[in-house]
Amino acid sequence: MVKIFINEMPVEIEEGTTVLKAAEKAGISIPHLCYHDAFPPEGSCRMCLVEIEGLPKLELACSTRVREGMKVFTKSEKVVEARKGVLEFLLAEHPLDCPICDKAGDCKLQDYYDEYGLFESQFSEHKEKRAKKVKIGKNLIHDQERCILCRRCVRFLREVIKTQELGVFERGIHSSVNIYDLTPVNNNYSGNLAQICPVGAITDLDFRFKTRAWFLEKGESICPLCSRGCSIIIEYHPGHYRFGVPRKVYRIHASKNQEVNGFWICDLGRYGYSYLNENRLDRIIVNREEWRLEPVWDIILKFLAQKLKRLEYRGKTSRIALILNSWLSNEELFLLHKIFKTDLNAEKVFFADPPQEEGDNFLLTPERSPNNRGAREMGFDIKPVHSKALAEETDLIVAFGSFLAEADLKGALGKIETKVLFTSHVSGLNSLFDIVLPTPLIAEKGGSLTNVDGRVQKFSAVLDPPGDSLPEWRMLAELGREAGINVSFYREFTSPEEIFEGIGKEISFFRVEK
Amino acid sequence: MREKILTRYFGLENFFKIDEYLKQGGYQAVQKALQMKPDEILEEVKKANLRGRGGAGFPAGVKWGFVPKVDKPKYLCVNADEGEPGTFKDRYIISHNPHLLLEGIIITSYCVGIHSAYIYIRGEYEAVALRLEGAIAEAHEKGFLGKNILKSGFDLDVVVHRGAGAYICGEETALLESLEGKRGNPRLKPPFPASVGLFNCPTVINNVETVSNIPLVILNGADWFVGKGLPKDGGTRIFGVSGMVEKPGIYELPLGTSLKDIIFKHAGGMKKGKKLKAVIPGGMSAPVLKADEVDIKMDFDTLVEAGSMLGSAAVIVIDTGTSMLDVLKTVTKFYAHESCGQCTPCRIGTSWINKIVKRMAEGKGSKKDIDNILRLASNILGKTLCPLGDAAAMPILSIAKKFRKELEARL
Repeated sequence: MVKIFINEMPVEIEEGTTVLKAAEKAGISIPHLCYHDAFPPEGSCRMCLVEIEGLPKLELACSTRVREGMKVFTKSEKVVEARKGVLEFLLAEHPLDCPICDKAGDCKLQDYYDEYGLFESQFSEHKEKRAKKVKIGKNLIHDQERCILCRRCVRFLREVIKTQELGVFERGIHSSVNIYDLTPVNNNYSGNLAQICPVGAITDLDFRFKTRAWFLEKGESICPLCSRGCSIIIEYHPGHYRFGVPRKVYRIHASKNQEVNGFWICDLGRYGYSYLNENRLDRIIVNREEWRLEPVWDIILKFLAQKLKRLEYRGKTSRIALILNSWLSNEELFLLHKIFKTDLNAEKVFFADPPQEEGDNFLLTPERSPNNRGAREMGFDIKPVHSKALAEETDLIVAFGSFLAEADLKGALGKIETKVLFTSHVSGLNSLFDIVLPTPLIAEKGGSLTNVDGRVQKFSAVLDPPGDSLPEWRMLAELGREAGINVSFYREFTSPEEIFEGIGKEISFFRVEK
Repeated sequence: MREKILTRYFGLENFFKIDEYLKQGGYQAVQKALQMKPDEILEEVKKANLRGRGGAGFPAGVKWGFVPKVDKPKYLCVNADEGEPGTFKDRYIISHNPHLLLEGIIITSYCVGIHSAYIYIRGEYEAVALRLEGAIAEAHEKGFLGKNILKSGFDLDVVVHRGAGAYICGEETALLESLEGKRGNPRLKPPFPASVGLFNCPTVINNVETVSNIPLVILNGADWFVGKGLPKDGGTRIFGVSGMVEKPGIYELPLGTSLKDIIFKHAGGMKKGKKLKAVIPGGMSAPVLKADEVDIKMDFDTLVEAGSMLGSAAVIVIDTGTSMLDVLKTVTKFYAHESCGQCTPCRIGTSWINKIVKRMAEGKGSKKDIDNILRLASNILGKTLCPLGDAAAMPILSIAKKFRKELEARL
């Protein structure tokens, strides 16, 4: 540890840290454009210049390492003037088209001008004409006029993905980022380019012109589209009930998570968010009018609990079939295991997961659901749905999720007396079941998932679940209580955290070392 | 009478051929050096106070001393890019005395423990590069290069690499990038090339003239060498005089020779009917000196005190008939054209200033423009990634300050 002074404030910091990171830890932000935590310092934007006592020139905060007793000034007159100078240069050749720029609102150039600039332009020459709207990849549009040549995109493709589709062409004022020989950026991580671009040079066709950054709210979650468990930021418009504007997710960004995904997510996770917006089931459906069930959670759960109790009482629990999936959280799988395996000793337990596909040896795994590992650690034997075994001698089927193949079930379900489906989406399946209950998605509830490497990651609700949907863990705890087989056990569970603690008591894999 | 040490045999017929070179006592320095210990050579070079001839004037011995003793290949890169406008000394050295350079390369490599040396030569110097390659072949044949040089057990290969025409590749780290086959952009320092250089290995980078002085230091000793120049600044310097003088060309003179003498004595004075107005004393990036400032000693420290620099010792003489606005225009055009575009102040600043100056030259300027140029140049100075920013800002600032009246008169 060394002691340095930033703006005369003493800061204890590890040796070898850069001034930029040291300041960040002390709560002082130093503006920077080309520097990104994922790459070694580039030193080309010159925004992060700071004054260091005893040195004749201003030094780069991004690459200068701390020394014992170093005195750094990040807001001195000299520093502020230098920053203004750099901003003035950058803005001189900038098209200043913020009103029609998709990045407006989360553009670093805008932020810094607001902080340091607000000066009148002295630039009275002709700006260089450059190509605008160049399509450089399936979802990427590059505007060379807005580009500040920080080379984050070039470095990302060279150092992280190693596909090297982008390069800097020409030199001096004519320098521009472009693709080689009209070969577009074509990899499963291209969406990261729009996210790491600090200005409006690379914009995302998927997001472009659909909304404005400042209309959006954001929250952290975990990507459920493969078993990697990348940290993501969900950006959404909360909707407006008075005008009938529904809640809508507009984009997914990668969130920093050094242990799992670093700073990146794949395009599958980035662009595959429509499932959050479309065809959502928001109410309870009872297809059997003769049962005279009110579509209310309490009543339905009581009904289901009674069914379970009756089967248990008659010693017919072998006539229960369960279809699960790996989108369920650790907490939910634990409760399901408790109720159906431990308490009821159900034998017909199947998993309906999306089929495995090819992974890419970076982040994307072959398993296209987030909690396969969790299900296995919980003690489940992951078997695909066997429709013949499912249909034979079954009185009650409880199914979860939307990955069931409609065709496989059509014939099988007909003979079963009671069929209950928990699902987040409206689909053809809904008419095959007697009762359909709406459930939230990962982004809409709390819990934890176990990723492919066995890392347990907690998540909490970012979005409100639509309509009447209720998290599975809540209604399973309720069901456990109602079924009355082991009442006191389920009474404790009023939050995912409490359930997780319960898991730790029973399964060492989930035990948190204190 | 001035004594020439580097350029002594210039003009001798076929001197660039190894037979003639050997006849005049060539390769004796190598023979002597190979019998010395590397540390002794390093001491001698340090004692000689041989400062880098490329422009920055960094002592060569100190630079070699920075090379860490690690178990990695080490490289020598000889900078023959010679892009600084007004500079043409290296071209003369290589074409007239290529074997002296090779001797220097062998001794330097032996001293630092290098087995591969590269000569990065300016792309336009095609004939010079061919001559150099011929000399290398001759040296190989005579056993001065290759395996087991003069049965000393020391191996060395020299490769000539021709640049592709960018000024920035004369900057040492951009040179390394270019040599590695990449775009010639300067690297962020530290790490310095002495520890992380070519192919991430320790690398010594020296100018042609610097390396060519090494054999003289070894053969004649450090004291003799210091005696040829100044105590802190050993040896002679090759001044390349161009512009409005009677006899433009290269003049090898002791460091500390007066600029006035260089122009009026050695270079034959101003061209007939021309009057001295200004001098750029060390290549285009050096701040300009006015006519009344030319009575100055030409060495690193004195020029820095006077607010200029010795740089590559290329003296550009400007007469009263030349408009300083035109000089400024040439300067700004050059740097705007040669900026690599990597860092913001240099990329946009040089181009912006160039646009203003161009407009001024078209008669559409105003007094505000000169203030603006001064402000912009100060925003480049000291704030760029590599020295090119300073190289551009310094002459612009000096011209705009010292000749402001003249520039205003042209508005």
